[in-house]
Amino acid sequence: MHVSCVDSAFAAREGGHISVAQVEAREVQLEAPSGLWNEAWRRLRRNPAAIVGFVLVSIFVVTAVFAPLVAPYGPLEQGLEGGRLDFASPSWSHPFGLDPLGRDLFSRVVYGARYSLLIGVVSVAIGLSIGMVIGAVAGYLGRWFDSVLMRLMDIMLAIPGLLLAIGIVAALGPGLIQIMAAVGATQIPIFARLLRGSILATRETDYVLAARAVGVKGRRVLASHILPNSLSPVIVQGTLALATAIIDVAGLGFLGLGPQDPSTPEWGTMLTDTTRYLQTAPFLALIPGAAIVVSVLGFNLIGDGLREALDPKFRGRA
Amino acid sequence: MLRFAVRRLLLLVPILLGLSILVFVWIRALPGGPAQALLGERATPETVAQIERQYGLDEPVHVQYWKYIQRTAEFDLGTSVTSRRPVKDELAERFPATIELSLAAMIFSVVFGIPLGFIAAKRYGTWLDHTSLVASLIGISIPIFFLAILLKYVFAVKLGLLPTVGRASVLIDFSHPTKFYVLDAILAGNLEALWDVLKHLILPAVALGSIPLAIIARITRAAVLDVQNEDYVRVARAKGLAPREVDTRHILRNALLPIMTIIGLQTGLLLSGAVLTETVFAWPGMGTWLVGAIRARDFPVLQGGILFVALVFVLVNLVVDLAYALVNPRIRVS
Amino acid sequence: MRRIAVKFGLVAAACAVVAVTVGLGGGSKATTTMVFAGASDPTYLDPSLASDGETFRVTEQIYEGLVYLKPGTTKVRPRLALRWKSANRGKLWTFWLRRGVKFHDGTPFNAAAACANFNRWYNWTGPFQDPSATFYYQAIYGGFRHNEVSGLGPPLFRSCGTRGAYRIVIRLTRASGTFFPSLVIAPFAMQSPTAMRRYQADEGQLQNGTFRPIGSYAFEHPTGTGPFKFKSWTLGQKVELERNDAYWGTKAKLKRLIIRPITTSTGRLQALQNHEINAYDLAAPQDIPAITGNSSLKVIRRPAFNVAYVTIHQGSGPMRELKVRQAVAYGLNRAQVVRQFYYGTGKVANEFIPPSLYGWTDKVKKYSYNPTRARQLLNSSSCHVPCHIDFWYPTAISRPYMPDPPRNFEAFQASLNASGFDVTPHSAPWRPTYVAKVNEGTAGDLNLIGWTGDYGDPDNFVGTFFNARTAGAQFGFQNPKIFNLLERAKNEPVFTKRVVLYQKLNILLMNYLPAVPYAHATPALGAERRVHNLIATPVGGVWFQFATVG
Repeated sequence: MHVSCVDSAFAAREGGHISVAQVEAREVQLEAPSGLWNEAWRRLRRNPAAIVGFVLVSIFVVTAVFAPLVAPYGPLEQGLEGGRLDFASPSWSHPFGLDPLGRDLFSRVVYGARYSLLIGVVSVAIGLSIGMVIGAVAGYLGRWFDSVLMRLMDIMLAIPGLLLAIGIVAALGPGLIQIMAAVGATQIPIFARLLRGSILATRETDYVLAARAVGVKGRRVLASHILPNSLSPVIVQGTLALATAIIDVAGLGFLGLGPQDPSTPEWGTMLTDTTRYLQTAPFLALIPGAAIVVSVLGFNLIGDGLREALDPKFRGRA
Repeated sequence: MLRFAVRRLLLLVPILLGLSILVFVWIRALPGGPAQALLGERATPETVAQIERQYGLDEPVHVQYWKYIQRTAEFDLGTSVTSRRPVKDELAERFPATIELSLAAMIFSVVFGIPLGFIAAKRYGTWLDHTSLVASLIGISIPIFFLAILLKYVFAVKLGLLPTVGRASVLIDFSHPTKFYVLDAILAGNLEALWDVLKHLILPAVALGSIPLAIIARITRAAVLDVQNEDYVRVARAKGLAPREVDTRHILRNALLPIMTIIGLQTGLLLSGAVLTETVFAWPGMGTWLVGAIRARDFPVLQGGILFVALVFVLVNLVVDLAYALVNPRIRVS
Repeated sequence: MRRIAVKFGLVAAACAVVAVTVGLGGGSKATTTMVFAGASDPTYLDPSLASDGETFRVTEQIYEGLVYLKPGTTKVRPRLALRWKSANRGKLWTFWLRRGVKFHDGTPFNAAAACANFNRWYNWTGPFQDPSATFYYQAIYGGFRHNEVSGLGPPLFRSCGTRGAYRIVIRLTRASGTFFPSLVIAPFAMQSPTAMRRYQADEGQLQNGTFRPIGSYAFEHPTGTGPFKFKSWTLGQKVELERNDAYWGTKAKLKRLIIRPITTSTGRLQALQNHEINAYDLAAPQDIPAITGNSSLKVIRRPAFNVAYVTIHQGSGPMRELKVRQAVAYGLNRAQVVRQFYYGTGKVANEFIPPSLYGWTDKVKKYSYNPTRARQLLNSSSCHVPCHIDFWYPTAISRPYMPDPPRNFEAFQASLNASGFDVTPHSAPWRPTYVAKVNEGTAGDLNLIGWTGDYGDPDNFVGTFFNARTAGAQFGFQNPKIFNLLERAKNEPVFTKRVVLYQKLNILLMNYLPAVPYAHATPALGAERRVHNLIATPVGGVWFQFATVG
């Protein structure tokens, strides 16, 4: 396993405005972008943790996408054990058992992957796109734009992630779309700061200064020099953000703020109802919980591996 | 340095104002009002209208906002709709509860995280190192409430070793001058109470501190590995210093810097995690208070409580930034 | 480094050992202390100004009224009044009071003290007239001596006079059938006039639209005559009561009674399983198998005193026709819902009051599940098969009469669809929207709702549902026959005549079908097996007077 110095992106995820990221970013961008991706891919391939993560994520994505083919029953079919609306322990015909309405838990977990994937991807997409635009504007245009936008981001960051999401969902009302918007909104300031930091750092580097001295237009500098270099931390952050999004969505579901239709097979909501059965039917809580852990772990492993792979400090040290 | 500090402090004002507006608008965007929540099935259109009139909700919005700002400046945070007590009083009870839990979680994560990270770094490349990395990754992949449920189930319900709810047993009486139960028990000299309070603190603190533990362990490991390869360490070793001395005087001391920053940054995580952990353990802190207030549309509690939480968070971040700037002069010029 | 690791390991092991030894051995010896868990703290301990069950559970141990419901039943029995008589067609009531009773502060209970309480309520002004302060007083007595708030009716109470030390005469302004039964409820308990005066029980204000007493009486000095005395109240932690050794009746067996709030039913369940509490209220029906399956625990049942029903809104749409309403009644498979989702705690409701209440009659028209009949009715009406309707249900809630609304709904939807309807589902969270919509009549053609009785009077059920005002709003109908019968029954002072009137009313209602009742639930409490004589009353209270632990 490789070492990553001060886990800056790790830190950036947790607080967002640590200046260490900026400092380190300054050192990261001292070389031209070509060759970075090939190197990264090679290093990634040799990282056992990242491979495990990749496998987990693949299983997750495949299950989510091909849910109707993977699941033996529909997620809404009740009373599968002789019409009784009651839970049942795992058995050969139902490897994960039945939930309190007699629905096959394995099928519900499989369809739940769909929800988690959908919500995760959409919220990160929201956070990423809006955050990047804000960060690019702030970083590139600087001065007045920068101050105002960053203060706005400060205000958003002043409220811890989950609480902000809870607040948004409470105002919009519970439901699937609302959670996606809420979790997406919490990601915005993080991406904004990240991109802004990268841009600020890159702006002052030698080759960008050189390019501008030569007369290359601002927009081209932005597109062909600054953005590609800023991309790697964004990719890393994106993967880690996906992991956080899945956990936050589960948390919202657990607090009862998720999809209001009780038959929705969303993992977090599946966990609220089942804590009372811990004594009599622990699998009802343990299995969806394990599903969350496994999928989030996959994304964290990949994100971690990506961060180490993309960190050019360790070129040639493979 | 002073200029930096003053500048950051001044920035607090617009942030707080912005937050108060945000909170104010947000509350009024919440569907429904406290009347239905209070009265439940017994609500009639007349009683609902009456309560809303008395709330002043029929006044223009800017008037309401101005009154709200005025009262907050006088430290009058209103009265809770559900409990009918002054929000100020409830805050004084709830806040220490959450702080105590967060501190315990932080202590847990630091006391176990730093040594774990250190050992992993020292045994770099061995199975211990790999296991600790995987363990810490799993640690941040478990949703806090799921971990809380598991811990509660194993240690309380199944094994009966630890209690499942609250901060202290109702059978033991001692006075609460500071509202920090551990401190109160010590001040009262009541060992039985102290042990009881600690027992109630263990499970929630472990659940809440699990993610910071994982993060701190990783950062420690990374920082130690970094520092280990620095020149001054090699020199110290070459000089013939005992490994133990090298560890403490040079490696740990210098690795502690980024570790400290990370610890400071965990506040946000702790506050979010507190909401979930407190729910599972019925811990009477800010988390359960605010979530209950959202459900009951308890406007005064939401206005006062959320603003207070945000204020604390912003202040803590400010302190961390200042401390870091103090230590790392490169930052001040950004 | 290795040394540090080893030290850690040793400390951890030591801690575990200590934890095990101290943690074990809870809950085996007999004790005179009981810890009981409710769902939240009381608001304050002056019951005349409160309206929530959590407060009443505590105040019903501290205070007593003139009469009370025999624990576990809805039969009225003497408490602080030994006997009573009504005259002048129910406008004059005489009560002979019990002698030798003292309040917890030593003040004697007598006619003067009793009238002081009645007069106190009647003479309230200002913030005390707000519905958030005196909900129950206004519900029974209408108004005060000087009504300051619009919407208050003329006062039912006229005066309270003493005849000697132990007899009071209460004059009402009109005949009322609800005055006497209402004397059992918590807000009308007798409180010590001395203590109320001393600790400013009549100081209160409206803060942000809700009433709150300012004096210390309701928080630190609640003073009644009951078997338990107030000791302390730590908010968020517990209310502690102690035995009243000077009690006039059977002294309590428990020396200490602690009531603590645990918000979630799962939290209460787990606290019981862990023996941190001895018993708790509001057990979720889904948890009953877990309790009965545990050899050290048991379930205590509260007699059914509630009703769950399906509102039918006749305002617009097909429900205007009786045939369509009858089709709904035949199309709801109520027996299946009760069997499957009430976990043995429910029975099918065939009318709007529970069987334990007078006025209940077996002679109402019954509608058992008959999809064929329903289809016939629909096809002979103006809403042919499939008849499209909107059906609302609440989310994020569990009520004593309706523990699992979404599942009830799903089953009803299926049975209605099989009976010629086409049901469109709608849902809203209980708070804040659902109840408001139901009350306003904007929750579709059908919706799920219910009611728990406050006191042993049918008017508290059918009067609350079908009075002229709510009939129009919630149910969208006007039926003078029903309204008149309701008024007559409410004001009939002769008990036997009242019973007959309410029976007639129930038969009329089940013919007219303004709604379809479907379940009476017996809510449950969880307790340790060694808890004995803990009685749960139908109206939601808990009787600790005779309870023992072990």
